[in-house]
Amino acid sequence: MTSAAAGTPTPTTAAFNSTCKWGPNSSAEYFFATISLRNPPTTTAVSARCLRATDRGHRRFALSVVPRATSPSSSSSSSAPKTRKDHNQNRKDDDDDDDDDDIDTTKQQQQSQPSVSMIRLDDVNPVGLGRRSRQIFDEVWRKFSGLGQISRTTRTDDETSLLINEGGPMCEFAIPGAQNTTVLVVGATSRVGRIVVRKLMLRGYTVKALVRKADEQAVDMLPTSVEIVIGDVGDPSSLRSAVKGCNKIIYCATARSSITGDLNRVDHQGVYNLTKAFQDYNNKLAQLRAGKSSKSKLLLAKFKSADSLNGWDVRQGTYFQDVVAAKYDGGMDATFEFAESGNAIFSGYVFTRGGYVELSKKLSLPLGSTLDRYEGLVLSVGGNGRSYVLILEAGPSADTTQSKMYFARFSTKVGFCRVRIPFSSFRPVKPDDPSLDPFLVHTLTIRFEPRRQKPIEGPAGTKQDLRSFKLIMEYIKALPTGQETDFILVSCTGLGIEPTRRDQVLRAKKAGEDSLRRSGLGYTIIRPGPLKEEPGGQRALIFDQGNRISQGISCADVADICVKALHDSTARNKSFDVCYEYVAEPGKELYELVAHLPDKANNYLTPALSVLEKNT
Amino acid sequence: MAWRLPTQLATTPPRSVKTCTRHDSLSWRHTLSPDGLSSSPPSPSLFTLASSYSSSSPGRRCHVQPLVTCTAQTANLAPGTPVRPTSILVVGSTGTLGRQIVRRALDEGYDVRCLVRPRPAPADFLRDWGATVVNADLSKPETIPATLVGIHTVIDCATGRPEEPIKTVDWEGKVALIQCAKAMGIQKFVFYSIHNCDKHPEVPLMEIKYCTEKFLKDSGINHIIIRLCGFMQGLIGQYAVPILEEKSVWGTDAPTRIAYMDTQDIARLTFIALRNEKINGKLLTFAGPRAWTTQEVITMCERLAGQDANVTTVPVSVLRLTRQLTRLFEWTNDVADRLAFSEVLTSDTVFSTPMAETYKLLGVDSKDIITLEKYLQDYFTNILKKLKDLKAQSKQTDIFF
Repeated sequence: MTSAAAGTPTPTTAAFNSTCKWGPNSSAEYFFATISLRNPPTTTAVSARCLRATDRGHRRFALSVVPRATSPSSSSSSSAPKTRKDHNQNRKDDDDDDDDDDIDTTKQQQQSQPSVSMIRLDDVNPVGLGRRSRQIFDEVWRKFSGLGQISRTTRTDDETSLLINEGGPMCEFAIPGAQNTTVLVVGATSRVGRIVVRKLMLRGYTVKALVRKADEQAVDMLPTSVEIVIGDVGDPSSLRSAVKGCNKIIYCATARSSITGDLNRVDHQGVYNLTKAFQDYNNKLAQLRAGKSSKSKLLLAKFKSADSLNGWDVRQGTYFQDVVAAKYDGGMDATFEFAESGNAIFSGYVFTRGGYVELSKKLSLPLGSTLDRYEGLVLSVGGNGRSYVLILEAGPSADTTQSKMYFARFSTKVGFCRVRIPFSSFRPVKPDDPSLDPFLVHTLTIRFEPRRQKPIEGPAGTKQDLRSFKLIMEYIKALPTGQETDFILVSCTGLGIEPTRRDQVLRAKKAGEDSLRRSGLGYTIIRPGPLKEEPGGQRALIFDQGNRISQGISCADVADICVKALHDSTARNKSFDVCYEYVAEPGKELYELVAHLPDKANNYLTPALSVLEKNT
Repeated sequence: MAWRLPTQLATTPPRSVKTCTRHDSLSWRHTLSPDGLSSSPPSPSLFTLASSYSSSSPGRRCHVQPLVTCTAQTANLAPGTPVRPTSILVVGSTGTLGRQIVRRALDEGYDVRCLVRPRPAPADFLRDWGATVVNADLSKPETIPATLVGIHTVIDCATGRPEEPIKTVDWEGKVALIQCAKAMGIQKFVFYSIHNCDKHPEVPLMEIKYCTEKFLKDSGINHIIIRLCGFMQGLIGQYAVPILEEKSVWGTDAPTRIAYMDTQDIARLTFIALRNEKINGKLLTFAGPRAWTTQEVITMCERLAGQDANVTTVPVSVLRLTRQLTRLFEWTNDVADRLAFSEVLTSDTVFSTPMAETYKLLGVDSKDIITLEKYLQDYFTNILKKLKDLKAQSKQTDIFF
């Protein structure tokens, strides 16, 4: 009995023995050949066995695939009984008389090899074997010749599995949050926007680009996997689909001319339309998630029935006592009542000099919510264009004598409007008091005073008495806070614009910025100096607030700031100027200088922005 | 013996460059250049191809007008609009280094055009990142000029594929590219070479690189030559993955040490060098922080993977012998060229160079250059985590079904 040992793990071995011998008196003698596949995932040996039954006078060939469980060293010993059984089974099919030695061997091997699947001779035909050995040889040769190289190129199909591919953790651009973030880039074909899109793609963001027309020029400029949305910032209805599914917006569009109409459409109205569309979308999401969303507002008061007016007190007072004048003026009066039309109306008049009327309530928050997780209040009111003062009393609720007062002024317009007042805009009544801590707020007051009222524009405005007021209250809610910025606006400092049109440009940009600040979105407003088309990361940058900068900046650096600001909590609710480093003129040296070195690990934005004022 | 580069042709000053005019070569120059230029018969062809240098095509040797002179005049022909300094062309952008160059360039705000060979499966990842892809082939010089229009800087990180003859891309293609760049007034040319390439003329690829360096210098273009040692990315496929998959790892017992470097670092340093006017025309060598032998790399991979490698050590002498054998036959010459590094491997060379001066020149902190230990550690941490996740996932699906 001869047997070829199962192949060694090295892929070269391909042994094939095909000699056959059959002794007339021996019970079972056979040969088999083993072909060892090159590094098969689960080690199997294909045993091609050639049997010959001489006593029957005919030849039979059988092939079997045997899963090889044993190690190569023991395979020669274990393969003998294995094949014996196969042989017995084969023989039993045809001749049942020759069975004395079959029974014991079959029993013996029953448990060791329960399943042996049969394949036909065709599967080991010379062509297949040749092909296989060719593959083996190629692989060996590739490795062998690879040894003689200093460095080799990895093939693209390898790279995806090697983790060094694009966007994998080994890539220097990879950002953890990028996979789940969709960014809408407005003005994606502009000088800054183009680079912003590329940077976002490199970091693995999902990018949507808003373009006015999907013409060839615009499409060619954008990477292929950017989703192109057709829309115009001047047309609010077209923006609804654009903001769908977006987490963040980067707005780097600007008017193509300095014609006032263009400026208003893009720089002012465009920003307004987009913030509105985005807020509406967020609100819709919040509604869908039934108040559980992080975008959900906290309801403080809703005036939808007569009962809801309980707890609100109307008070009046004066800032100073003018006894003589008080005798002759008309006094003051105010009511807060639920009208038949279904509105809660706070109305009245204040003719007394230095007098005021106010509507006040002690807040009762739902269990588990505190105002420090919110960043401001939003009031939905309908008025006749007067301005009011919102006063918050803060302090330990048990001892109201220690309460401190904080105020913020807001104006209304004719008709309904939503007013957003961030907590950060409240100022202490006594200048020495610390700034407002929303956690401690316990009482909310809306005060009307005739001071500093401006007549509303239009013909009706002149006829009205500024000392009377009417305020329809709908609701008061607290705005949720967020960690990151939602909307990045690339504005400008006004440098480098031709002087004759500078005012108009700046007015439109300013109006756009203001509408963003009022929107309640987390915002970042970047005002770069004149843009230069040169590679970024070369020079140190200056971050400043207060319109003092005098230098330009490269588009790529602005784009880099945009992308870095997306996930930077210090960038939320900030406006800042940025330009290349320069030596300041005397008297203007107050700037925050942060070196921006071209280094992959350098996050220069956080230290630069953390020293800047918020809510500017 | 296959062919030897006539080094003297490429290295001698352009005045004495002897070429053989091939009349079947390109004719577009005739339409571009004024009539006065093509006066001397036989008319000098701008794209006298480098194939004429090779001894395989002996041809007639004839003295022609120096290429560089003639092309310098064509550059003056069209003043045109100035190109933007941010427009670059990357040749070999699908390679290990090339793709990092493209990424880095895009991130720094360059407008990147990628020259890639037309192929059935186009390199979509380049277009995904925002680069423009143009189809051209260095071995077909007539396709090159169109790709250079409006380009300020050319970065050449191309090398021929292993399965094709070395000289087609690496020599003939490069010469055509440099000549074309010169003719079209490209303002900077970055060329990647191999460290120590001047010391090993017996290795065809290194000799070609060295000759290309010379050719580039003589062409008179503003250029930077960067000599590289080895890429860390190459080690992943060669050692790290086989060890993880428990396959056999092939190594040599050569004492050669190579200072591997991360291609992302190479790309970063390249762009710093590119913007530094002081480095114009210089030859830089980028090397990693430490030189490693094959055995050391394998040992480190084993340690990080937590499992032993199944190492098949091939003595260098076997490699040399194979090379000698393959050189005997015409049809195995390409193979012999590929194996030629075995000559270098036996020679106990260290592929490394002190980088302190280069760092100083570029203004880079040596701490920012990633070391091989850190690189492999990152890799194994990430991939072992990924494998664990996959295993957990597959278990879940087992239960589910």
